[in-house]
Amino acid sequence: MAAVRTDSERTEKGWEPKLIAFVCNWCTYAGADAAGTRRMLYSPCVRIIRFPCTGRIDPHFIVRAFEQGADGVLVSGCHPGDCHYVSGNLLARRRFAIFKALMDFLGLEPERLSFSWVSATEAGKWVEVVNSRVEALRKLGPARVPWGTLSGPPPSLNGRSVAPMPQEPLSQVKPDDYQAVESQLRQLAEGLLATGQVKAVLGYGKGSLQQATPIVITNATEANQLIFNEHCVQNLTVYLTSPSFRSLRPLGVVVKACDSKSLVGLLQEDQVKREDFRAIAVSCPGVKVNGRWADKCLSCDQRIGPIADHIVGSSEPKSTAGADPRDWEIQTIEKWAPAERWNFWMNQFSRCIRCYACRAVCPLCYCQPCIADKNRPQWIPTSPHLKGNVSWNLFRALHLAGRCIGCDECTRVCPVGIRLDLINRRLSLEVAKRFGYEPGKDPSVPPPLATYRPNDPGEFIL
Amino acid sequence: MKIWTLQKKRVGDWMAALRAAGKEVLAPCEADGLLRFRPIDDPSAIAVRPGPCPFPFKEWLFPPHQVLFSYQFEGGKVNLREEEVLVNDQVGLFLRPCDAAAIKILDTVFLSDPPDGFYQLRRSHLTIVTLGCRQAVPSCFCPAVGLSPTSLEGSDLFLWEEDDRFLVYGVSEKGDRLVQVSPDLFEPGEGPEPDQLPSPLPFMERKEPLTNVGQKLQGLFESDLWQEVGRTCLGCGICAYLCPTCHCFDIVDESDAYSGIRCRNWDCCAFPLFTLHASGHNPRPDQPSRYRQRVLHKFAYFLQTFQQNMCVGCGRCSLFCPVGMDIYQIVLQLTGRCLV
Repeated sequence: MAAVRTDSERTEKGWEPKLIAFVCNWCTYAGADAAGTRRMLYSPCVRIIRFPCTGRIDPHFIVRAFEQGADGVLVSGCHPGDCHYVSGNLLARRRFAIFKALMDFLGLEPERLSFSWVSATEAGKWVEVVNSRVEALRKLGPARVPWGTLSGPPPSLNGRSVAPMPQEPLSQVKPDDYQAVESQLRQLAEGLLATGQVKAVLGYGKGSLQQATPIVITNATEANQLIFNEHCVQNLTVYLTSPSFRSLRPLGVVVKACDSKSLVGLLQEDQVKREDFRAIAVSCPGVKVNGRWADKCLSCDQRIGPIADHIVGSSEPKSTAGADPRDWEIQTIEKWAPAERWNFWMNQFSRCIRCYACRAVCPLCYCQPCIADKNRPQWIPTSPHLKGNVSWNLFRALHLAGRCIGCDECTRVCPVGIRLDLINRRLSLEVAKRFGYEPGKDPSVPPPLATYRPNDPGEFIL
Repeated sequence: MKIWTLQKKRVGDWMAALRAAGKEVLAPCEADGLLRFRPIDDPSAIAVRPGPCPFPFKEWLFPPHQVLFSYQFEGGKVNLREEEVLVNDQVGLFLRPCDAAAIKILDTVFLSDPPDGFYQLRRSHLTIVTLGCRQAVPSCFCPAVGLSPTSLEGSDLFLWEEDDRFLVYGVSEKGDRLVQVSPDLFEPGEGPEPDQLPSPLPFMERKEPLTNVGQKLQGLFESDLWQEVGRTCLGCGICAYLCPTCHCFDIVDESDAYSGIRCRNWDCCAFPLFTLHASGHNPRPDQPSRYRQRVLHKFAYFLQTFQQNMCVGCGRCSLFCPVGMDIYQIVLQLTGRCLV
């Protein structure tokens, strides 16, 4: 992609907006061509880049354009039903709906990112779309991108204490609730290992620094090392795709209700075979992070998740479920002006040190290699400067949209406290609202961004 | 060794005097729930907790991202520009003894012949003021690596909290010069030798020596134990990035059609990409072999090259590991002394 000059000419008098248009070869490109052959006049501020299909336009390209100094991006392709490849534009519609929701949440002004359907005959519509976009950009002025600068102190979420969800409901949880589960779990693990139903059991053991730590038990006599208590916070399903665990199949894996949902994701995406593991579902009253009930536990109404080969303890739904305090935080952020949101998130991302712990603990981040580790071309700058950090955090979030089951491990381990949970949850809410889909329920349905419905909402498309 | 006393309430005055003398004061402070060394003016912003500051001081000597030079194409010419310009003297205030000792280890790496110019420049402008630990936290294991809550390694001034004042030990000339900036704040004082101070050392539990395990660990290179201890490593960079002594980096060129930079970024031996060859072969093919590298580098290879361990027992890697891998226990387990 051609680099767009950024520095001096952006601040000079007579600034002109730069609109990058990613268009499909078959419809919009032909429409733009028609506008040309009919000698129709329209803004020269648009730079057209031709693609075989809107389905080929990865949000990476859009991010790249902004990174390199575009003031706005327009994606345009065939009307639904007109796709040269039958459904490329319908898949793209889902992807862009989520991408736009993410960029809105982060605080990119909505006018900077537009989508349109323009057919080969709609030369007039093309002219109208381009002119209206350019005018909108002219009103907004130069983009706050290329991201790479911070402006002023960010707005604050005022600490977590303002959240209207106190922790009372879970205060009824007693240590006994865990102890009963723990002793049953040991018995079960012993039996499974003794009868050879599993080669190993992956569960929680006592860590030397009081935390719970993942342990692997291969001998029935070691089953008493397994523990279950409020510190058992890790999502152990992350190890199912690890090469170091392949020789231990079939593996008994201890899962809480939330962790069990990621098993659904792994099965859905064909990353593990059903016969490779036995899900040992422990009845979970809730877990604590830094001495507080984890946010995800406050709204959890299940003790046992969707995939359970063996159930340890009660499978009664929980009566303690309340609202998720993150929803309040998300609403707070959405009330801010785009510039404030942008400032908040840029400040968050500026701390990222690229330890990739968010990726390492995520059971659904299994790609080998991850796109962040590919360097031909280098889609995501590896440097922990703001530009690279924004790219990384954007794509981590996008790749998990519709797949994240909300175990919040990424947020728990982040050494610099980036609120990835808010982004994940915001996108989950968007996926639920638009596509009526909730991840971690049914392994037989495709993930929402790998499929489409002809009547998906497209209200954001010009 | 010279000893002074400094009233706690005068620390602000001292900081003001240091700033007036053109020095930048870096101290642990909290912003957005994150505890980190930051340049500060206001002494009330200082947040000193028991144990080391979660984010080590390392970032000020060896930043996560450092531009080495930049260039621009203009009118058919390439304009090359050196990037590093550091004018201020810096004072690192309230480092813990482990962090100060870690800087000495970094010095060994970056100042050995030939010295690293970028590090050397920052280091020569830095004076280290250490605060001895009156209290240890459960993850601490400095006695196991030959240090203590009162060790002076790497410090220029060493402070000890005593009621409403600090005992100030002058460890180096550089440290004495900080006192001379505002001599009226410091009264000549008396105190025991630092190793006689009432430190928490006798009560610390993690002090089984890890200082002479190099050969034994190297003998285990092919052992199956690594699979056992390294299997649960997830391959993130938290241990290396929060380690005050880890110093591996990656040189990266970033450019577009008009300009570019060459920079050096932190890197970590737990990443598969760290050892991936262009051919696709990876000599450290799995996480246990990468974890082995981490342990051996700290306790065997570095010892061989520089006659010291590359670990100061701060315990950050163990405390912040997403899956609770505790390097102290693991080395003990490997050397057959203790089972978790």
